[in-house]
Amino acid sequence: MAQVAAPANDRKRVKVYELKNNDWFDRGTGFCRGIIVNQDEARIIVNSEDEPTRQLLETTISKDDGYQKQQETLIVWTDRNGTDMALSFQEPEGCAAIWDFVNEVQARLQMMAHDDGLSDENDQHEGSIMLPMPDLGNLAEVENHMRAANQTPAGREALAKFVLSENYISKLIPLVEMAEDLESIDDLHRLCSIMKILILLNDNAIVEYVVTDDVILGVVGALEYDPDFPLHKANHRQYLSNDRFKEVVKIEDPNIKKKIHYTYRLQYLKDVVLARILDDPTYSVLNSLIFFHQVDIVQHLQSDSAYLKELFGIFSGKEQNQQRQKDAVQLIQQCCNVGKSLQASIRGGLYQNFINHGLLDVLQFALKHNDVTVRVAGADVLLSLIDHDGMMVRGYIFKALQEQKKPLTDTLIELLLVEVDMGVKSNLGDAVKILLDPSALSASFDTLTRTNSEFSARMRGIGLPHNDSFVQRYYQESTRKLFQPLKNLEGRESMDNLSTSEVTLFIYLVDVLCYFLRQHYSRSKYIIITEVLGARVAQLLRCPQQILRLGALKFFRACLNLNDDYLHRQMISQDVFEPILQIVFDTMPRDNLLNSACLEFFETIKRESVLKELLKHVVTTYRDRLEAITYVDTFKDLILRYEQRQEPVSTQEVDHSFTSVESDTPSRTVNIPSGVRWGQALRDPDADEEAYFNGSDEDDDGLPSGPKSNGASPVRPLVNYPDDDGEEDEMDILTTSAPSASPLRAIRAQTHSNQRHHRRESQTGEGKKRKKKTN
Amino acid sequence: MSIGGSDLDKAIAQLRACRPIPENQVRELCYKARELLIEEGNVVGVNAPVTICGDIHGQFHDLMELFRVGGDVPDTNYLFMGDFVDRGFYSLESFLLLLCLKVRYPDRLTLIRGNHESRQITTVYGFYDECLRKYGSANVWRYCCDVFDYLALGALVTGASTSLTPTDGPLSDTLNADTLPDPDAELEIETLSSTGEIMYRYARNSSPQASSQPTSNPPSSPNASTTPSRVGAAGTGATSSANGSTHNEGGAVLCVHGGLSPLIDKIDKIRLLDRKQEVPHEGAMCDLLWSDPDEIDGWGLSPRGAGFLFGADIVKHFNHQNDLSLIARAHQLVMEGFKEMFDNTIVTVWSAPNYCYRCGNVAAILELDEDGSNEGYVRRSNGDAGRLKAPLVQKRLEGPGRRYRVFEAAPQDSRGMPAKKPVADYFL
Repeated sequence: MAQVAAPANDRKRVKVYELKNNDWFDRGTGFCRGIIVNQDEARIIVNSEDEPTRQLLETTISKDDGYQKQQETLIVWTDRNGTDMALSFQEPEGCAAIWDFVNEVQARLQMMAHDDGLSDENDQHEGSIMLPMPDLGNLAEVENHMRAANQTPAGREALAKFVLSENYISKLIPLVEMAEDLESIDDLHRLCSIMKILILLNDNAIVEYVVTDDVILGVVGALEYDPDFPLHKANHRQYLSNDRFKEVVKIEDPNIKKKIHYTYRLQYLKDVVLARILDDPTYSVLNSLIFFHQVDIVQHLQSDSAYLKELFGIFSGKEQNQQRQKDAVQLIQQCCNVGKSLQASIRGGLYQNFINHGLLDVLQFALKHNDVTVRVAGADVLLSLIDHDGMMVRGYIFKALQEQKKPLTDTLIELLLVEVDMGVKSNLGDAVKILLDPSALSASFDTLTRTNSEFSARMRGIGLPHNDSFVQRYYQESTRKLFQPLKNLEGRESMDNLSTSEVTLFIYLVDVLCYFLRQHYSRSKYIIITEVLGARVAQLLRCPQQILRLGALKFFRACLNLNDDYLHRQMISQDVFEPILQIVFDTMPRDNLLNSACLEFFETIKRESVLKELLKHVVTTYRDRLEAITYVDTFKDLILRYEQRQEPVSTQEVDHSFTSVESDTPSRTVNIPSGVRWGQALRDPDADEEAYFNGSDEDDDGLPSGPKSNGASPVRPLVNYPDDDGEEDEMDILTTSAPSASPLRAIRAQTHSNQRHHRRESQTGEGKKRKKKTN
Repeated sequence: MSIGGSDLDKAIAQLRACRPIPENQVRELCYKARELLIEEGNVVGVNAPVTICGDIHGQFHDLMELFRVGGDVPDTNYLFMGDFVDRGFYSLESFLLLLCLKVRYPDRLTLIRGNHESRQITTVYGFYDECLRKYGSANVWRYCCDVFDYLALGALVTGASTSLTPTDGPLSDTLNADTLPDPDAELEIETLSSTGEIMYRYARNSSPQASSQPTSNPPSSPNASTTPSRVGAAGTGATSSANGSTHNEGGAVLCVHGGLSPLIDKIDKIRLLDRKQEVPHEGAMCDLLWSDPDEIDGWGLSPRGAGFLFGADIVKHFNHQNDLSLIARAHQLVMEGFKEMFDNTIVTVWSAPNYCYRCGNVAAILELDEDGSNEGYVRRSNGDAGRLKAPLVQKRLEGPGRRYRVFEAAPQDSRGMPAKKPVADYFL
């Protein structure tokens, strides 16, 4: 211990605590010092403040971990006898000095331990352990030995070795029933504690052993008597002895069958029996065992073509047993869920194998099933598949189209429109959103034509002029089908009598429409314009359901984000501002969500200089009504902002685009009679409009009409900074990485994070610029 | 199917026993809650008396302990500052119970959004997994996330008294009776244990007592060196040295999950946000849910990667601008359950004892008494405008009297066995 200097022993005032029955018991206040006894021993000593001769604490510093410094003034550790102790210092400096001392001593001790590392195995004290054969008379002794051994890594290792070599667990198991017969609750509690210690040794071999057929019931039987819950008894044995395994198709290999049972038991241990007491290492031991078993199982099944043939044959029509069909869908779902955690290449093989055997037909079967659990399973598999390889799925869609068959998306859209289960509905919606993504469609199509000569030959055979028009036609037809119910609103006089299912459907469709608008307006605008969807959404602004009105408002809010003059002029000609203003009047001065969303809408018009035409329209058309709203400043400021812009350039912020257009034709838009329908605003076409109204999308990518933000709903700063130009820049930065609200994305994030809290921390940042930590 | 009246009470009873309710009931509940929450402002008006609670994080049994210590709903008026889910084993039961109580007693319970009430965060920190395990599909998670989007972003408590009525209770052993303030003094802070023992008392403008324990953080280190110029009722300019004026109305208390935003200088600006969205990665809404106070000047980058750090100057200026006497927030673990900072202008309240079942901290709730002179006060729950048109007070507003009830994790045997529902059947 020569290298370690004892800390300067000035008076470090400290309180000594001991953990008794989960309470920190105050042993007293005193002064703490560290002393070096000899070459391999150092101690921490606390003498009482009141009687300096009385020692409150004397503890030998052990070389193993277990000392923790918490906050600035607290050192916590577990003493050799298993007691949790804490020193609470008055001064951080005192704490730091003792903490350094402990660290130095530990480093020194560990170095010494390494010096004679070879002698470790022969070291009677640490290297091996002998326990008496257990009986009901000596369980207390056994437990104490184990607790003592459990204190050090070497002890734990020795204990694990001994338990395995002596088959100790199987000797403990008969004691459970004996103790039960004798109603000896103390012994049962001890058996439970012993079993917990053994499992939490987190030794792979022990964990593997406890779930084997011979011992599993005994092990969970012991764990039913948790001393932490003296008044309760769990019923794990009852649960596990019921056979819950459903063998849809017979599995020939006994090893695989065993692994299936083991996996289930490991999961049961993890989620139920040990859920409350698991520490991180044991948790990961359990998880990795489960993972490797699952890989083996899935690998085996998917390479067994007889098995797959029988499995998918269940859906061939010969099968009469409906329950078996349901079970088969759930089996496939479980396979796919396991597949998510496999390496991409293995996972790819799994899906390919499944598809070759008819997975897509199974999906159609499952999604149309009248049992909602089957539909849920089907939607889940569908999303796993798309998530794994959307391109592949789109490839099958193209082939179906080429063969004049009904594409999968048509089925999905039909189902989406009638689905009553909200969960399945939103899964289907997500699937449609992803599959119809225009740029992904083009990319998938190109890949397919390049890699599949048969396909491209047929394409030439069909004689389509341009590959892209094939994709485009498909996109437009699908989109049209999707939004048909919205279009059907045309001519509907009143929105007061929407049925509940209509309301739900419209909430969903408007949401999807917003998504299309934000994500690929350059492609979807043709549909939005020719189908006059904006006007239909505007109708919904007058419905009584607040949530639907809010959704409709969000559509127009998304329109503001697109710097698309044409769209904006349609908003003017359709006069969507009247119903929005009406919502303000209907809700004001109530401070509710819908009202706030309206305010935010008008704040945006006020703030964004590119929306000057809208500002002018709103102010000049509704000035009187705006002036009547005084409960917030938004509308007063709206008028003010408009008037500022009317003033000569020299007195206000420079806004080039504004001055060049605006001052020449000060009231052009005002002259457009309200009540002009969407589409009629085409009276005043310019080159841009012509181009996209004719539906040629290719030129549009470079235009500034693309979505300004790709987020769920972009965030804008609320404070108007004095310099407008700077604001614009800042805003662009703020809107570049808006969040993805897609649950699929979220699910993806989830499936990649099988670990626990602190390990998960590092993953929260996925898809973000900076990492988030949470509390 | 519909969940109302007695069905709702049944659901509440079932959830109180920590048993999840069926999926169709969850859906109905979430629809009802949505209808209710859409009517709430981004900043909900709440009238004192109210008990303010911080993070819960799925620690269901500790939430029960909280209700035991603080009084049951609807007897006590509660305000929860978000982070109901994630981390703990019972996010689902905890959140659904609070939601049920909200639907059942809309005026007695206020729920605002925390940073964990978000799709992205819940998929990583446990709530998603929990729903999947307990229901076999993510539907319930989707319903709950829909509700998250409707939760208010903050609350403004008005009508809180500046002084507490001393609690009639035994003195704690750890309390030195000599340090108790004069019984006639205006009581500003009181700390009670979960059994109602008085652990600490502090009179307004008395000198801080040296803590008898060398180690403990004095609960709040109230600093008497704040401005000596005390004011009486807002706008009166009267000093409170006059005896008898023990029930003055102080400034309002703003409650948010995280903290302030550089984009929000006035509370009314929060009103201009469209809150119905996933918690964004930047911007005012994000900041309100993610920011933390810190010992810095002005604004700083947050190590969390979202929100900002803000210093004492920011808080004091904001409070002055908005006639606030205090900001109550949650979001950060504090070992003592609560922590006042910046001359008592902001407090962190943490209500998840032994966080993650391992942190060893205690939890706290903050009670604000009703101002006796507040009769005839019009509750402006959702909305009347012009809330901040009160006459501007020159001096700093007096903080409300604050009673902290500190409590520990629910005892093990009250918890019952963990009711993690295992998978029913297995195919693999």
